[in-house]
Amino acid sequence: MISGEVEPRITDLQIQSRVHELLDLPVCTNQMSSAIYHYQCPNEHTQELNNENTKKKPYNCPHSGSKCDGTGDIPWLLLHLRNDHNVEMHDGRSFSHRYVHHNPKHLHHATRMLTLLDCFGRQFCLYFEAFHLRKTPMYIAFVQFMGDEEEAMCFSYSLEVGGNGRKLTWQGVPRSIRDSHKTVRDSQDGLIITRKLALLFSSDNNSNKELKLKVSGRVWREQ
Amino acid sequence: MVLMETDTIECAIDNDEIHLNNNNNNNKFSSTKSQGGATVVISPATSVHELLECPVCTNSMYPPIHQCHNGHTLCSTCKTRVNNRCPTCRQELGDIRCLALEKVAESLELPCKFYNLGCPEIFPYYSKLKHESLCNFRPFSCPYAGSDCPVVGDNTFLVAHLRDDHKVDMHTGCTFNHRYVKSNPREVENATWMLTVFHCFGQYFCLHFEAFQLGMAPVYMAFLRFMGDEEDARNYTYSLEVGGSGRKLTWEGTPRSIRDSHRKVRDSHDGLIIQRNMALFFSGGERKELKLRVTGRIWKEQQNPDSGVCIPNLSV
Repeated sequence: MISGEVEPRITDLQIQSRVHELLDLPVCTNQMSSAIYHYQCPNEHTQELNNENTKKKPYNCPHSGSKCDGTGDIPWLLLHLRNDHNVEMHDGRSFSHRYVHHNPKHLHHATRMLTLLDCFGRQFCLYFEAFHLRKTPMYIAFVQFMGDEEEAMCFSYSLEVGGNGRKLTWQGVPRSIRDSHKTVRDSQDGLIITRKLALLFSSDNNSNKELKLKVSGRVWREQ
Repeated sequence: MVLMETDTIECAIDNDEIHLNNNNNNNKFSSTKSQGGATVVISPATSVHELLECPVCTNSMYPPIHQCHNGHTLCSTCKTRVNNRCPTCRQELGDIRCLALEKVAESLELPCKFYNLGCPEIFPYYSKLKHESLCNFRPFSCPYAGSDCPVVGDNTFLVAHLRDDHKVDMHTGCTFNHRYVKSNPREVENATWMLTVFHCFGQYFCLHFEAFQLGMAPVYMAFLRFMGDEEDARNYTYSLEVGGSGRKLTWEGTPRSIRDSHRKVRDSHDGLIIQRNMALFFSGGERKELKLRVTGRIWKEQQNPDSGVCIPNLSV
């Protein structure tokens, strides 16, 4: 036995198993995202939704979180992101990007990429970020909706990353940009992988420890 | 000196090969010898091999090989334990090295110890051990997670061992639907894990589910191992899925061979990893209790490496 490791207590973990034909997991459209990540009282939440002013309140710039003070409506934000932050806009509901990280071991602070998606007459923010989760280096990708939560809940998105014979797929509901990028990241509400796994995905196309992650995905309307 | 006496060699061998250099492991020479199997080992070589057996521990001796003043040999491990007395004649031991025996060992060629399991290969004495640690015919180690179980054997034997001695659940079929329940998921200091064995396609697979700390963050991980070699494992693909509340996470990959230890696969993150918060979120309800439903299936398919696609590169 390796020192430091204690005999596992299997009584702590019970298994209930039924061997079935594989059933499609029903996608529960009972949207509860805010309630979990903010632990808001349901009454407060309802109040906010009913408040008409919420919909007219300007949005914060979704680019760098707290660093940019820009606020405005969606059309203003789109111009701001393109002109002031050089963010690219992609037309269409599906996308495929390759993220290259030349020295993944030299990552000391969070680094993120933002791309805009234009589809269904709306815009979405696609984030890809390298960060540390309690000292473990991770990568996360998620989509946020440029608009309010009510409308965000009408959409779903999927993200897929893979390579070297492996594939991880995330399907989720885009959070509204009313939630800061950091809030969504810290709630891990997206496709999240460790750097080790990312390198495992990358290892079939390069021998040096360079990260080459192919992330593809799509957005669609529910119902 | 070579292993074979000329009398027992097949007529096919040329005269050239009899003068074979000791370090040259010619394939043709090897394969011809292997036709004799166990009967190839005959007196001269056997007695040399026996001389290389430590009289105390009976393991094969490797340099430095020691001897006492009377010439009795001893391996270096046992020398540290005999209080400077030769175990054979009780005389005082010095620091005499038996170089001649070490050199004789160099010219000795022996069949792999798994010859009775099918390995046809023959190796010089000093490279035999390394081969045997990697030999494809070697028996499998018990795949049970947790403390290392020393039991070895073939798959049929190991499956019975897992079932009878480790009380592992057995399932027939290639799909699964498990619910992992843990009433107080905050107690995840020690690694806890579950193993289920699946029997399908005439093969056995080990499904592992484990709670552990990734750095300082608590996670759950599920992954599949194949009871067989890596080459055969590549014929299969498996998927695992968790979800709830409009969100779903799906993993697809190739099962790892049980030649890779449970710990090695876990630490390579080669499977479905879910942060505890997300696992509690998927559990629904109050989210204080873990009730994680994991579904999955195994099928026959080889994974191909991704072909190159022309897509934009974005530097981070």
